[in-house]
Amino acid sequence: MTEAAIVVNNLTKIYGSPERGVKALDHVNLTIPKGMVFGLLGPNGAGKTTLIKVLTGITDITEGHGLVAGFDIQLQPMEAKARIGWVAAEVILDDDFTARENLWLQAKLQSLTGWEERAEQLLEYFSLKDRADDKVSHFSTGMRKKLEIALALLHQPSVIFMDEPTIGLDVSTRRMLWDIVTQVHKEFGVTVLLTTHYIEEADALCERIAIIDRGRILAEGTPSELKARVKADIVQLETAEALDSGALAAVPGVQEVRGQGDGWTLRVTSSEEVLPRLFAAIHPDRIRRISVEKPSLETVFLEITGRRIGEDEPIRDVRKFYAQMQRARR
Amino acid sequence: MKLQWSPFWGLYSREILRTFRNPFVLLITIVQPFMWLAFFGSSFSLLPASELETLFGASNYIQFLLPGVLSTSMLTVGMFGSMSTIQDKRFGFMKRILITPTSKGLVFVTKALGSATRGLVQFPVMIAAAIAFGVSFHLSPLDWFAWIVTLMLLAIGFCSLFLAITARSTDWQTPGVVSNFITMPLMFASAALFGSSHFPTWMQDISNVNPITFSALLGRSFVLGTAPNWAYLGYLGLFAGTMLTIGYFVSSRWLAVE
Repeated sequence: MTEAAIVVNNLTKIYGSPERGVKALDHVNLTIPKGMVFGLLGPNGAGKTTLIKVLTGITDITEGHGLVAGFDIQLQPMEAKARIGWVAAEVILDDDFTARENLWLQAKLQSLTGWEERAEQLLEYFSLKDRADDKVSHFSTGMRKKLEIALALLHQPSVIFMDEPTIGLDVSTRRMLWDIVTQVHKEFGVTVLLTTHYIEEADALCERIAIIDRGRILAEGTPSELKARVKADIVQLETAEALDSGALAAVPGVQEVRGQGDGWTLRVTSSEEVLPRLFAAIHPDRIRRISVEKPSLETVFLEITGRRIGEDEPIRDVRKFYAQMQRARR
Repeated sequence: MKLQWSPFWGLYSREILRTFRNPFVLLITIVQPFMWLAFFGSSFSLLPASELETLFGASNYIQFLLPGVLSTSMLTVGMFGSMSTIQDKRFGFMKRILITPTSKGLVFVTKALGSATRGLVQFPVMIAAAIAFGVSFHLSPLDWFAWIVTLMLLAIGFCSLFLAITARSTDWQTPGVVSNFITMPLMFASAALFGSSHFPTWMQDISNVNPITFSALLGRSFVLGTAPNWAYLGYLGLFAGTMLTIGYFVSSRWLAVE
């Protein structure tokens, strides 16, 4: 047994043959202490969902190993599964059943006894008691999400996996869910591993964050620690005509220049100091658009990977969103 | 192979409850064999009773046909079980089940037994329909019980077969394709609709090992009041047990989660 809720050691997952398959996870190492909300931040296809699938025993490990709640997910999968809860990106419930029957089924699947009182408490806690005997197909998306979290908490798990829990939700439902995650973590003391590609979600909810891209963990720390890695502001510049990168690099305070032609990303020591110098070097009439970003998780990701989250795969994101919406409506 | 009773009961109950909450599936399950009786069963209605006796050993063709139709409808039950599993995979519910301490083998067993039980819903409806068509029944309680067990074993066997074949599939069309491939040869190369004595030899060979034949013949002996061959029940038990075992191991290893 270990004090950590989740330990991932040199974990690799390849879909297909080892030679020609797709490497979804590439020698991932992570240790997540008990009682923490830990975020896995990365774009679509980064490996977040695969890591959850591996740690919940849904898919096999190609190499390495993982411990969940002190149990090896390959050698003791049933012991580990008895201690985990799961909230899916898509709301997954039995639509032919009522809320209370969904809880009953979850209790049966977890072989629980004396679960009825806890189920009633959870229905009360999530304000679902009045609708407990209604078919969940008649529930709103927010209510369905609440019930899904209640199912995840019913057997008092040590760890809850939340796989992009707010994808496709409107702003108010997303905010509601953030409050629920915070409250649940506080009141039930459960470890939460949450994956997201929403920067603000990771920043708002997670005590520690790992940035994952192309199957590899690129950085890990508290949001403050990660932001401190970027000791610079980011200036995005669009000019009316092509510029020479040398002219931009020569401005005092500019640490790095990326881009070409009329679109540039400048890494500067302090935007307050550098902008007046920049305007002196390039006449303001030649600047079509300029924006400044203070250190954020977005700039951390940009700093580490050279691109923004979601920049590569907008189509996959839209597909996922529509799939989620269709399932939510069923 | 340790049976987990609590998840077993949960998933088995889910299969049964969902049937009764989906009126369309229930309607089709009931109406389809009823249509067989009404349309196919009426095809010899103008034949003189003496010729029916000669051809089928019964004065009413529906009396002869009923055990056969009940047997062949267990094939359809297998297809519905397979479709229900694919629905769970596609809607993500299979993941919800398998993230709990529930094994893939147990999911298979509950699907097979649940679908087979669901298929038996047809039994009382068909008996009532046959009475409406003029068939009279003179079965002892043991005969009734044995007939139900016969159909249950046949249904378990076919449900297991369908589930094993479609274990890796997530395509809605697969059960239908498999059903089309399996149903027709098994139905016609059996004693379900006609006696096999006039079949060509190669069809008789298939019919002689076809579980539908054994179920139809056993059921027919109960309906017509002839001496049942209890070895048929043993054969069907062997068929159900073998298919259930094969399906269990196939699903434990290859059942696709999504």
